[in-house]
Amino acid sequence: MDVLDSDRHTMSERELLGIFSRIVGDLLEDDSIALSMTTRRSDVPDWDSFSYINFFATVEMELNVRYGVADVESFDDVGAIVRRTQALLLAPE
Amino acid sequence: MLFNSYEFIFFFLPATAAIFFLFGHFSRVLAIRWLIAASLFFYAWWRPLNVLLIAPSILINFGLARLLMRLARDDKRALVKTVLIVGIVFNVGFLGYFKYANFFVGAVDDAFGTNFVLAKIILPLGISFITFQKIAFLVDVAAKRVVSFTLQDYCLFVLFFPQLIAGPIVHYREVMPQFQRATCRYNSEDMAVGLTLFFGGLFKKAFLADGIAPMVTSIYDQAASGHPITLLYAWMAAIGFTLQIYFDFSGYSDMAIGIARLFGIRLPANFFSPLRATSIVDYWLRWHMTLTRFLTAYLYNPLSLWLTRRRLARGQRGFGGRKTTVGSFVTLLMLPTIFTMCISGLWHGAGYTFIFWGFLHGVFLSINHLWRLLAQRQWADRQRYERVMAPLGWALTVFCAVGAMVFFRSPTMATAWNVLQGMAGRHGVAVPPTVFEHLGSLAGAIRNLGVALGPIDTRFFALLEWIFALGLLAFLCPNSLQVLARYEPALGIDTLAPYKSGPRLRLSWNISFGWAVAVAAVVAVGVAHLGGVSEFLYWHF
Repeated sequence: MDVLDSDRHTMSERELLGIFSRIVGDLLEDDSIALSMTTRRSDVPDWDSFSYINFFATVEMELNVRYGVADVESFDDVGAIVRRTQALLLAPE
Repeated sequence: MLFNSYEFIFFFLPATAAIFFLFGHFSRVLAIRWLIAASLFFYAWWRPLNVLLIAPSILINFGLARLLMRLARDDKRALVKTVLIVGIVFNVGFLGYFKYANFFVGAVDDAFGTNFVLAKIILPLGISFITFQKIAFLVDVAAKRVVSFTLQDYCLFVLFFPQLIAGPIVHYREVMPQFQRATCRYNSEDMAVGLTLFFGGLFKKAFLADGIAPMVTSIYDQAASGHPITLLYAWMAAIGFTLQIYFDFSGYSDMAIGIARLFGIRLPANFFSPLRATSIVDYWLRWHMTLTRFLTAYLYNPLSLWLTRRRLARGQRGFGGRKTTVGSFVTLLMLPTIFTMCISGLWHGAGYTFIFWGFLHGVFLSINHLWRLLAQRQWADRQRYERVMAPLGWALTVFCAVGAMVFFRSPTMATAWNVLQGMAGRHGVAVPPTVFEHLGSLAGAIRNLGVALGPIDTRFFALLEWIFALGLLAFLCPNSLQVLARYEPALGIDTLAPYKSGPRLRLSWNISFGWAVAVAAVVAVGVAHLGGVSEFLYWHF
């Protein structure tokens, strides 16, 4: 983990993919889900728009970040969510 | 100016395209400015006052967007949020005044017995589409998805005439990079693809939709005058209108996408064989796709995200997966879905019938999602589930879409109720006498079942034939975007595998003599049917 200051730190792609996979797996009750940077929502069975919204709200709670409403529809793949999350983790609160 | 008018096809479009290419030969900027001027002329043609109504709104939006851009660049988040809210309120207020003021005044009069005077308000053409596009732009600027633009860029984005009046609703980031790359020179492939789409759309509109329209209108007019509609006529009116509006609006969308392509611009897909959908969720991913996308991104998602955040902050479970509770389903899915679809209904028209149409679809969508949750618990074998349920899902989807369309078409709730009661058999069954003549000895038995003789009505058979023919096209034939897929006719189309979801009949257009002959026949039929009394149904919105 790359600690930048006492309060805010970023996370590696691998760490975030692990967290995202766990959250999606928990939401969809499928422990076998392993997201990669190129995974698209359509690649994951049952990851519909409703659990997608819930995914963001859960990540927000867990990582103490806040996605913009416009962000949610803009992500083409999980990699884009990872990069945006890293940027949010770096941004001052 | 309508796309299916002589003045558009034989004067405006060829002149605009020819001068665009001519100017493009000397200067890109000149060609783009010509396109803006031509778009204003197109908008002003029907009623010049339209330009005076819409121009201040465009300038105010441009000013707000520039302010947002500066604030977003300086990371002044609170001010960005404030200006964005001001912009959204302004646009919704603008739309609200012109489109809904009289509806709400009338609703207050109905509810409280008051007698407020209804004002005579001129509705600017295409205001619903333009407003949504302007709101999407402000949100994109606030989110830094658009980081630089000029007044010329903005005017072109808002006024580009192919999508000005009735969509597709586009994002700035979809079309403006294309304009920035555009050579503004004549391109034979763009011309061939664009004209094929345009005349295919004209054929759908002028021949198919306008062909069935008078018969459908006749039955709805009878229903509106209080005449009880019997079973077969009611079903034929409901199915007939569903096919009419499908060919009308998908024809319009094809024409819009085709015209944009003449100028080298690809617009997003708006229809993808919605009547082949196997669920109501699937239906909305295929019907008026850019509206669904807008409502999901700018209404449903914010609302749902806000509700989910609140719920999670209280320690309650969110929506998703098999652990979904009744509470989370109702709060996080059903309420925002029904609310969003009611707004969609209101967007289509200022009337109770439109709102109820939206409400019905919100209920259908909620039931569909509930079913998906329950089905995945009970049905582990997904392939078997698809094999068994897809045909049933298709039938149920068409049934729901057709039933809800009765509200969309009817001028009043009473008219809709008349047709729906007819569909339920509450007004009996009647057929033209000639049907009995063909039935021979069976006629007596059928009469004994309560089937009455209706008036001699040749339109009964004509409408039946139209429904059969249009049904075959809608349910079994490939759509225009599939046929042209290899030339990427619209954004969001799978150009490599356009036939993943059927149909079995698979055609692939190419630049060849055979296809030229086929398209020429389509052009001839489309043009031959110009000139009738006709208007795109969605121009009203």
